Amino acid sequence: MSRLDPPRVSRRSFLSLASLGSFFVAMGTAAVGMLRLPNPAVLPGPVRRFKLGPPEQFSAGSETPFADQNLVLFRDDEGFYAISSTCTHLGCTVARSKDGFACPCHGSRFNSKGSVVGGPAPRPLPWLEVSRAANGDLIVNADNEVPEGTLYRV
Amino acid sequence: MKDPSRIYRWLLLVASVVTIVYLVGAAVRENYLAQWRTVQQEYRNILREKATDDRGRELLAKFRVEMKQASIPALGTVDRCVTCHNGVDDPRMTDVPQPHRTHPGHILDKHPVDRFGCTVCHHGQGAAMSFNEAKAEDVFWDYPLLPPEMTESTCVTCHDAEKLPPDQIPLLTAGMKLYREKSCGSCHKLGGRGGVLGPALDNEGAKTKHQLIMTNLKPPHTTWAWQDAHFRDPGGVVPDSLMRNPTVTRQEALALTAYMLSQWKRDVPESYLAADKIEQKYRALHPVPLAGEQVYRQYCTACHGNGTYTRWDKEFNRFIPAIRGVSLISTATPEYFQSNIEQGRPGTQMPAWALHAGGLLPQEIKGVIEYLRSGASGPGAPATPTTAVLTLQGDASNGLSLFLRNCAGCHGMNGRSGMAPEIGNPVFQQAATDEFILRTIRNGRIGTAMPAFQRTEAPAFSDQDIADLLAYLRTLGEAKGQKAIALNATSGTPAGGKP
Amino acid sequence: MAETATKEFLHNLRALPQTVKDSCFRLGKEPESEREESQATFHNLFLHIHSVRVHVRTLKPTLTFGLGLVATASFLITLITGVLLMVYYKPSTDLAYQSIKDIHFTVSTGRFIRNIHRWSAQLMVLVVLLHMARVFFTASYKKPREFNWLVGLGLLVITLALSFTGYLLPWDQLAYWAITIGSNIANSPRELTDAIGITKFFDPGGFQKRLLLGANYVGQDALIRFYVLHVFVLPLVLVTLLGVHFWRIRKDGGLAKPEDPPGGLAEWGGEKRPVFQPLATKTYGLMALVKGNRPPVNRGPENTVMSWPHLFWAELSVFMVTVAVTLILAFYSDAPLKELANAAIPENPAKAPWYFLGLQELVSYSAFMGGMLIPMIVLVGLALIPFLDRRPGGEGTWFGTSHERSVFWQSLFFACAVTVGMLAFTVNYGWLRNWFPNIHQLWIIAINPGSLFVLIFAAWSLFILKRKDSVRLAAVSLFTCFLIGFTLLTYFATVHRGPNWHFYWWPSQWPVH
Repeated sequence: MSRLDPPRVSRRSFLSLASLGSFFVAMGTAAVGMLRLPNPAVLPGPVRRFKLGPPEQFSAGSETPFADQNLVLFRDDEGFYAISSTCTHLGCTVARSKDGFACPCHGSRFNSKGSVVGGPAPRPLPWLEVSRAANGDLIVNADNEVPEGTLYRV
Repeated sequence: MKDPSRIYRWLLLVASVVTIVYLVGAAVRENYLAQWRTVQQEYRNILREKATDDRGRELLAKFRVEMKQASIPALGTVDRCVTCHNGVDDPRMTDVPQPHRTHPGHILDKHPVDRFGCTVCHHGQGAAMSFNEAKAEDVFWDYPLLPPEMTESTCVTCHDAEKLPPDQIPLLTAGMKLYREKSCGSCHKLGGRGGVLGPALDNEGAKTKHQLIMTNLKPPHTTWAWQDAHFRDPGGVVPDSLMRNPTVTRQEALALTAYMLSQWKRDVPESYLAADKIEQKYRALHPVPLAGEQVYRQYCTACHGNGTYTRWDKEFNRFIPAIRGVSLISTATPEYFQSNIEQGRPGTQMPAWALHAGGLLPQEIKGVIEYLRSGASGPGAPATPTTAVLTLQGDASNGLSLFLRNCAGCHGMNGRSGMAPEIGNPVFQQAATDEFILRTIRNGRIGTAMPAFQRTEAPAFSDQDIADLLAYLRTLGEAKGQKAIALNATSGTPAGGKP
Repeated sequence: MAETATKEFLHNLRALPQTVKDSCFRLGKEPESEREESQATFHNLFLHIHSVRVHVRTLKPTLTFGLGLVATASFLITLITGVLLMVYYKPSTDLAYQSIKDIHFTVSTGRFIRNIHRWSAQLMVLVVLLHMARVFFTASYKKPREFNWLVGLGLLVITLALSFTGYLLPWDQLAYWAITIGSNIANSPRELTDAIGITKFFDPGGFQKRLLLGANYVGQDALIRFYVLHVFVLPLVLVTLLGVHFWRIRKDGGLAKPEDPPGGLAEWGGEKRPVFQPLATKTYGLMALVKGNRPPVNRGPENTVMSWPHLFWAELSVFMVTVAVTLILAFYSDAPLKELANAAIPENPAKAPWYFLGLQELVSYSAFMGGMLIPMIVLVGLALIPFLDRRPGGEGTWFGTSHERSVFWQSLFFACAVTVGMLAFTVNYGWLRNWFPNIHQLWIIAINPGSLFVLIFAAWSLFILKRKDSVRLAAVSLFTCFLIGFTLLTYFATVHRGPNWHFYWWPSQWPVH
């Protein structure tokens, strides 16, 4: 330390620590706020809770593909279930094959209940949550999965 | 010496603390104090009260407090109204207060929110997250939320108003009828048909408050308030307005307002259009002609009244001719009417009505001529022989002095811009036969200010006088052709009259 | 052999956190000696543009009020928030407005970030202007800092251009009409070329406008051009110029400061404080020959303190004050967003942002004179100052030379009187065209309140030059007149101009529509 300089103030003085500390806290708070921004608060595009109409319009044993919504709605004797037609491997849309679903991208194959029977897919096609809206229409929520075999009874 | 940076450390401390306070404040305001969060918490409580059966419990379990929206790419709208109006499609919510209540009527059965959103019918700022900004009356937004009674005006975006049940669109139906009854088409164009004295109304509903003169209007300054006030007193809202008071009741003013708001050329995808709307569009391309009397009522009466007498118009400061008067009908040929209707009287208030201008079909013009000629009954002009006069050689300079003494007072110098019909008008000059002029001078026009100049008991003019006058009048047609076009161009009327 | 390699590997693995840390931070600890404090400064990319020691007087708040730093800080804030806004902004005429609405309504912290962006941008314009005034009145542009004055002027122009281009992006009514006006100012040389009838052959106005808009109207092409300028070209140029600006501060010997009194500084008890007594045999390297007022040969720089920590405390605190101020403004006041741009409904009045309103007042007399010629004259005049006023003296002191303060006050009153008088005259009696309706446009361009301002102020400056026999005082009078004229015109156009550019005593008297 030079003999001629003003006496050095220790950086450990209360003022230094407090000001530097509050500076970093402020910057941290600001950073948290700024990092929240890129995460969309509400997703653009149509909602992924699809209203598919009143249940009566689907007969027992029917299978109705909804191409825009990427799902197939089934009704058997006991109730409804919906299977997503988005491949669990890397997101291609599967096509209905003779005895199930086949993915055109990497050759994954699923049976008609969505279970994997071949190819690289790590897990079965998701079963989507079926429910009913307040006015009675069937709703499939593509954001919510349910365990395979879950039936929605009307 | 003091530490030179001490003051800066204090400054840093204070500024940092202030920054933290405001950052935290902003975070709290955004994440905890937003109006819609309170609303959704209220709605969750309502759901809990109503969760009496399985379905109700399911709905309660699935309810999340989050931003909700109906995003309709086809209409280009993102409507977040459902963030607060959570119960619009829940039929159980009829007995709860707004904003939680069920949508009234059965509208949503055929117009689900997922497919239509809200603002396509109600207007307002759909993207907003608070009611004040969604209502958008006092914020910067072109189309604020329509009041409930005006909402029907948007049905015509996808429907033909004539095909909807009238009890569902009472105001619109009444407004449509009034528009015809009050002969608004005499001055205003709508769908390519109508006069040009007033502005065309095809996109009147699309106007924003900035396009209307609000100076003389008490707040709120909405377009519907303007329309309503304007229908009740045009001159009080727009000073110097030429529009005559349509004399309507409060209810009628509202009906006309709704009809005006419905005039909006809005592009929506064809998949949204009702079948009747598509038919309506097709009909517009293949119009069915109206009967002569209907044409007259919709497009002529505002100025000509019932047409059997001359009207003095104080705004125009001139007489409006009695086009169904006995004298005219008995002297004029159908061709005379046709020229005047098709080409109008350039430079006067009478616009051209041919298809390219006023939008009347040739059959309609034919029909309206028949209607005019079936007009007032009564003794027409006596059909005295005219050949004697027509063979005389007229002296135009003597005609001029006769004209100045007897005619110019009403018909104006050169037969233009007087208070009586323009006999120097190129269309008149072209359409009127010598015989027509001659007989009019001789017999005058019953029911108008035009006197007879050669009554049998006391003739003011000799045959030679009339021949001179005729010779002079014909000189008006030669030179004025050019000027008429110029006049027409400067008056800015699209009704192009070919001389 | 294998044993040792394994050991070494394990040892390195254990030491990993420390070695990574050491590799990142060259000093790696809190500096404890001046040598280490120097290292803290010049071993850091971001700090090394500072000199290791600064003169103690340049740390005095009242010398600079930290204006340059505030300008830099607000630029940084604008830059960061701008990048964040780019995440959601869509530069298309169909989507731009809606994307701003979404930022406002739904994006987390979006509304706050946009408000901060706007306020820090406004602050930046204001502070850059004040900074220029500070540099002028402390005579800090004098040799060897002439070039940095020019760089500063460049930064001022870029700052204004950034604000101008950013104005269009929300695609609302305000944006649309302000840019329509702005682009027609670029078109205004046509006023002259039309008046002398050569537009057909030589049309710089049309060329400028097309270059700016890519079309004859403000549309998608204009939007994308403004976007590219706003988010890429102009910031890049600004950062580059800013680098040069900072670098020159150091190379020109730090902030301008007065000569130390012969006895030493009063705050140090009149004692001289050289940093070191050089050895007679010492040879000086390149560092010692760095351009400066007094090359420190044979003695160390006197009366300086270490940049670390003193200067950096100052810089950090000024930065944080700027952040706090913009946050407070952004918390209470939302950035405006008017109705969607609509070519059919002109805004009335269509006002530019406040810093262009002085210009807009001049433009209302003659677009070419007020919008092109006078700004050119002002810029050239400002650029020439350090080259015409070359007599040293007064550096680093407010109103440092003799009579400067009195000339400043005289000029201030003179400029106020002239500006207010001229505006009052124009409002009450109109101008040439009101008196001679058929007057040729050339007369309007040549003789209007704007050009008269320039002439009167120039005459006043020449008068001071003769009377006081000092170039510096002439410059002071001219600069003061410019500053007062700019301020008053801006105030006048902001407060007293309403719909149809009519005069009103107060905005509350504006008619509804």
